[in-house]
Amino acid sequence: MSPAAALASGVFLAYSRLAVIVLGGAGFLLFVLSHGFGKQIDSIWRTFRGWLVILPIVLACIFAGRGATIVGVALLAMTAFKEFARATGLYRDWWMTGAVHCGIIALAVTSFVRDPWLDLPGWYGLFMALPVYVVSLLLIIPIARNQAKGQLQNTALAIAAFVYLGWMFGHVGFLANSPHAYGYLLFLVLAVAGTDVAAFTCGKLFGGRKLRDVISPNKTWGGSIGAFVVAMILPWLMRWSFPHFGPVQLLLTGVIVGVGGQLGDLTISMIKRDIGVKDMGALIPGHGGLLDRIDSLVFVAPLFFHMVRWYYDVY
Amino acid sequence: MDDWTYEPAPDLEQTVAERLRAFPRQPDMAVYALRGVFQTSLRAILRAYNGFDVRGAENLPMEESFVMVSNHSSHLDAICLLASLPLSRMHAAFPAAAADYFFASFPRTVFSAIAINGLPFDRTKGSGSLESCRELLAKPGRILILFPEGTRTLSGTPGRFRLGIARLVAGTKTPVVPCYLSGAYEAWPKGALLPRPRPLRLHIGQPRRFGDVTPGDRDAAVSICMQLRNDVLALSPERAPCYPASFPVQAPIEFHR
Repeated sequence: MSPAAALASGVFLAYSRLAVIVLGGAGFLLFVLSHGFGKQIDSIWRTFRGWLVILPIVLACIFAGRGATIVGVALLAMTAFKEFARATGLYRDWWMTGAVHCGIIALAVTSFVRDPWLDLPGWYGLFMALPVYVVSLLLIIPIARNQAKGQLQNTALAIAAFVYLGWMFGHVGFLANSPHAYGYLLFLVLAVAGTDVAAFTCGKLFGGRKLRDVISPNKTWGGSIGAFVVAMILPWLMRWSFPHFGPVQLLLTGVIVGVGGQLGDLTISMIKRDIGVKDMGALIPGHGGLLDRIDSLVFVAPLFFHMVRWYYDVY
Repeated sequence: MDDWTYEPAPDLEQTVAERLRAFPRQPDMAVYALRGVFQTSLRAILRAYNGFDVRGAENLPMEESFVMVSNHSSHLDAICLLASLPLSRMHAAFPAAAADYFFASFPRTVFSAIAINGLPFDRTKGSGSLESCRELLAKPGRILILFPEGTRTLSGTPGRFRLGIARLVAGTKTPVVPCYLSGAYEAWPKGALLPRPRPLRLHIGQPRRFGDVTPGDRDAAVSICMQLRNDVLALSPERAPCYPASFPVQAPIEFHR
């Protein structure tokens, strides 16, 4: 990945054009709805404006190359972890939060360096083994500080946050090492965003019974099934992103995005419900916190990554 | 089994700008790191560019919370007072910064809150801000940096001290440390674009306490202000004190604006 490779890559250019078309089309549609039909869609406008900021940043990172993508993913993971820590109260424990941040930096470094044995970009073995070291480090902290009160909660929160928001999400950064990085990364971003929009739209159109009334009262089976259907269709539509995929892989990609995306969404909802907060933060107007935005990707990316690796190796 | 108790940050659903404008601010690792970088390099620059040095640092009552008051002629003042404190107190020292100026826009807010750890002070109706100051000083080991003139002097001569400082400390055990920064007006007067390489020297005087003064007594407050102003001026190497340092002050007061 590099700016030159991005300009030479048909996949990158196609997704860039698609981003312009989709954003332009959505903007036009919202304009017609609000001005032509006088509908009150202020919140959707805010969400749309959020996308206008997010998408160019994502495309710029991927355009700039492998290093920028890995650094970008690490910064996202650190921001997401910070939101998690602020929501749970873990942010008061600087040793724990500091160790998790160090772990995320270590993930970025192992994603970036070359594998010393296989001589490939990204040290796969160490990347997969990192949770062992970081969990050990997190468990050492209360022992070194000779503290017990409340430490199970803090270590458990820190480990969960590192494994889920750091390591599992970090797979997005590691995907940048693949020769099919443009197709994989851009498809994932498009697919999780697309199923999100589909869930919202189908939920409004069809509704139906509540999906998980305790966790997230606004989600319906109608929205969920709509999102799943869209997720199953997208890999076939976007087949040119990964020309080496056969029907089985396309099917699996659809399932991972369609089911995993919603599970990621519900995971963060469950966490928010338990803590008792509405949003994880207020970083992106119209979207809530960053974690509210990337919740699906966190769940989908590692499953997709290991599906690809199962069949082809990532490289 | 007991439920876990989560304590979300009280400012969880605020934007970055709102969080930085609020006071007290929640501890934030990234902010502390940036402030550390800024203040450390700033000290190096002040020493190299302005030959900044401190006289009387041993007068600072470091074992308790205290207020530093100083003359105000330049943006360098707050930075110099911060630089006179140990680096370990960086995040516990708060210069009171005019909310209508230092927190007026997002870039200024970022600078004031992150780099200098400013306490947003409402100059129009100060009672709420004074309450923030009081709460701050009630905590252990906090340092409030205050410029009782309320604005930078245009002439280089310190102006009248406003009554806020007296309202804050009257009847409390909080020590007030008078400081005089010389050279700041020459180095970076109001209206100049960039600081010039003129020498800066901070003189720190003996702390004073006003525990026996009745809070809310206006005459006593005026006396406190005059006394503190005298203390500050007495530290000035350039001019003799304008009024006798003894209390109460009998001499007629001439106010500079």
